[in-house]
Amino acid sequence: MTATATRPPDAAPPATGGKRAPKRERQGAAWVFLSPWVLGAAVLTLLPMAVSLYLSFTDYDMFDAPRWIGFRNYTQMFTEDPRYWRSVITTLTYVVIAVPLQLLLALTVAIALKSVKRGKGFYRSAFYAPSLLGASMSIALVWRAIFNDGGSVDNLLSGMGIDIGGWINKPGWAILSVALLTIWQFGAPMVIFLAGLQQIPAELYEAAAVDGATWWRQFRSITIPMLSPVLFFNLVLQMIQAFQVFTPAFAVSAGKGGPADSTLVYTLYLYDRGFTASHMGYASAMAWALLLAIGVVTAVLFRTSRAWVFYANDNNEGAR
Amino acid sequence: MRGNRTTTSCALALVLTLAGTLTGCGGDGGGGSGGKVSLRFTWWGNPDRAARTEEAVKLFEQRHPDIDIATSFAGFDTYKAKLATQAAGGDAPDVMQLDYRQINQYATSGILLNLGEHPELRTSDIDKGLLATGVVDGKQYALPVARGTETVAYDAALWRKAGVPAPTLTWTWDDWADAMRKLSASKATQGRVGSTDPGQSEDVFEIWLRSRGKSLYTKGEKLGFTADDLTRYWEWCTKLREEGAVVPAEQTTQMDGTVENTPLGRLKSVSDFNWDAPTSGYAPIIGEGLKLAPFPVGEDGTPGQYFKPSMFFGASAETAHPKQAAQFIDFLLNDKKAGAILGATRGIPANDAIRQDVLPKLEGFDQVVSTYQKQFEGRLKDPPPAPPKGDASLQSTFSRDYDQVSYERMSPREAAENYITEAKAELRQ
Amino acid sequence: MTTAPITTTAPAARRRPTGRIVLHICLIAVLLVMLYPLAWLLATSFKPADEVIASLKLLPSHFEWGNYSTALDGVNEVSVGRLLWNSLLIAGGAVLGNVISCSLAAYAFARLRFRMRGPLFAFMIATIMLPHHAILIPQYIIFNQLGMVNTYWPMILPKFLATDAFFVFLIVQFMRGLPRELEEAARIDGCGPFRSFFSVILPLTRPALITTAIFTFIWTWNDFFTQLIYLFEPEKFTLTLALRSFVDASSQSAFGPMFAMSVFALLPIVLFFLAFQRFLVEGMASSGLKG
Repeated sequence: MTATATRPPDAAPPATGGKRAPKRERQGAAWVFLSPWVLGAAVLTLLPMAVSLYLSFTDYDMFDAPRWIGFRNYTQMFTEDPRYWRSVITTLTYVVIAVPLQLLLALTVAIALKSVKRGKGFYRSAFYAPSLLGASMSIALVWRAIFNDGGSVDNLLSGMGIDIGGWINKPGWAILSVALLTIWQFGAPMVIFLAGLQQIPAELYEAAAVDGATWWRQFRSITIPMLSPVLFFNLVLQMIQAFQVFTPAFAVSAGKGGPADSTLVYTLYLYDRGFTASHMGYASAMAWALLLAIGVVTAVLFRTSRAWVFYANDNNEGAR
Repeated sequence: MRGNRTTTSCALALVLTLAGTLTGCGGDGGGGSGGKVSLRFTWWGNPDRAARTEEAVKLFEQRHPDIDIATSFAGFDTYKAKLATQAAGGDAPDVMQLDYRQINQYATSGILLNLGEHPELRTSDIDKGLLATGVVDGKQYALPVARGTETVAYDAALWRKAGVPAPTLTWTWDDWADAMRKLSASKATQGRVGSTDPGQSEDVFEIWLRSRGKSLYTKGEKLGFTADDLTRYWEWCTKLREEGAVVPAEQTTQMDGTVENTPLGRLKSVSDFNWDAPTSGYAPIIGEGLKLAPFPVGEDGTPGQYFKPSMFFGASAETAHPKQAAQFIDFLLNDKKAGAILGATRGIPANDAIRQDVLPKLEGFDQVVSTYQKQFEGRLKDPPPAPPKGDASLQSTFSRDYDQVSYERMSPREAAENYITEAKAELRQ
Repeated sequence: MTTAPITTTAPAARRRPTGRIVLHICLIAVLLVMLYPLAWLLATSFKPADEVIASLKLLPSHFEWGNYSTALDGVNEVSVGRLLWNSLLIAGGAVLGNVISCSLAAYAFARLRFRMRGPLFAFMIATIMLPHHAILIPQYIIFNQLGMVNTYWPMILPKFLATDAFFVFLIVQFMRGLPRELEEAARIDGCGPFRSFFSVILPLTRPALITTAIFTFIWTWNDFFTQLIYLFEPEKFTLTLALRSFVDASSQSAFGPMFAMSVFALLPIVLFFLAFQRFLVEGMASSGLKG
């Protein structure tokens, strides 16, 4: 194979060497392994996606047959719908707040837990506990109580002389309380980080310790590079999920996206258009615009990943 | 390595077992077995309604051993999304509970069966005014189950302590506003404000319009009011809000449709606008003092409120058993025993005969609601026909646009123009 | 090959005890803040009806056990036991499906070469990017055509067909971290791709598989919307679905019992997590990569 040290799986199909005898057999084997995925992707994903792409060019109210209207949904969305652009800005605000903070918290706790010897299981479970809940209706009510006027956060802050009042009913603050709900549930990235840390061979640290490397040095030269595939995974997935954030905003604002549209994130508005207003064509167009936007951001992340993500198998192969 | 293979085969065995269980489950859900006709019936509601409905269904199945009814329910918001998905997927249930605002859409899209063609289903005892609301293009697509009307629910104890005159059957909007100002100003209410902000509610707006001789929609399914009307309404609400007679935006925005999350339910106000049936939810929060007052009337005494069909029953146009579906709806609406079981769980029955039977037997808060409704007998105007197609989202658009007003991001005039533009687009006018 | 566990020696483990105590204090401080909302949830489940929403105090004025007895009565004549079993069936099936199908697909993407690998991988990632509300109706139509509405298949079948690209990608990332020599060695021993998948790669990916299992279980358990759309008969309802029926905007709600039910619905996932989180540690500590 080529000598590129790191290669994201999507970057290029493998160069066809053709010198190895079992290549054909491996090709066949690959398709056997892939067969469930291929079936699922074709029937349960590709087909519905194609339908929704088609619907995005139609006027479809879920009841009568869809009517072809070309790019009308898209032009309306981009040029005539101020609420659409407000939802874009709200979503970007959310992404910028929630993704870095959640990842930072998850990584810090995961690394701290790696150093802990006693009570590891307890800590891991306790830190994961909030994530067990999801954004259920009960946690939404709890959140609304805690971030309300006179709620716990308000009391704490006014005790410190900061007078904000309730967060959930202030247009500038509500999205922050939504982001905090996501950040609070950092269990998933934390567990993934933990699993990644677990996979780093202990010998590397032992060798480094023998060489007298400091903690920071070990962290920079072993932990981060060895963890980079997982770090990359978490970054990409959390970002994709953040762009699609729905449940926390739905829960905290009781499905309304208020106050004054300040938590009306993209998919919440999409849901509102599709299921409340019965404009499924418009909602589909919104979905595809989002897919394209996320696709661009993800592609950029994949590009940059070549510079900082380290894959053991590719490296070894390249070195050979 | 052998260990791994054992694990794999164990896993495979488990998959197959599970598959068996699942298909087993799936098999008996669908079409009837052994000549039995199977109907699916869905509705929204709470566990109490579930228990009573289940009992009525059992009685029906006893009487019709050849018909099997599978029921299902969900909360109102989730029910709407689910039913729409089912309808879009060509899988609407045989018999369904419908909202006023769904009738037109579902009927004109060919999802509902024309029940008028089924003589099994008797309509003679059903209130004529209500019956007409289920008619679209001259066909009876849905039948009203029960009726409700709007009310001002209030804490009478606080009201009395504040020394505010009790509401009457003929109080006007100005009387109401004065009362709210006094309640807010009074020390007796301990910082609680007079009322929910009426600006966020399209329902209240409709009654305000009607008391001024207008309506939300004209008979030709066009908007029945102008931006000027809406501006006047929202300016009035804004004035009350700024005076502190009604709750501020921070309270209004927390309403989520449940009684518990209204300002009155959260003990931030002394009164609230609501439909009569759900106000039972205030009882555990407010206690004995809870009372229901009529809506204010127009300056000339025109009442705005009306008996609204609180829900309908309809059948799917695609049902394989239209006759049995009609029989079942007939049973739910017209059978005396079924009426006794169901009581007022869906509201005060729309069937006149059943209503006479049921009313004396009502207990607890149902009794309060029926007494409340009795005072309007013969006084109210006919309900408007079911709202036109496209109206589905306008209720939330209404409160959203008012949100912009109450957070002072738009003037009442701007927001009203906005609403009218959006409403016209939705109604395709 | 999995012999003699080598204990992971984290760098900080050799630090002085004071450092460790500071670490514990920091962790516990963060935990206290984080667990506060959970305490609130628990306390609310004991609040009487007039305090559930209106009160902004943590503790109830008196403990209302009635919330639990109402919740445990079940919903619509379906017992809590039945609801629990249904939830377990769906979550269990989903876990099995995801672990099997996603690891198969991930192995192909991570370790095998085939035509179209790049484009197919890109497509797989793209499938995560479309909001699922947009494909809800087409999917419903497909499942309806397959006669699977009102069965558990719409919740489980997709998992057996690796439609959760999240997990395929997750396992891919872990498999790509494994040195290539492993399979080379296996091949020299005469192992084909199937043997090396089952005997070499899969055991080494255990942390990722356990992670997949845990997340799938919890997310499926909490996935209210899919269950709502596809399940019809109350006898097939899950705990998550049932607790929603305590709240209805058009009539009186029962928030107290809903809180009690959500505490109750939390127990199985807590137990599941507690049972499986241990394997997260044990996964790679005993890999013995080069030792």
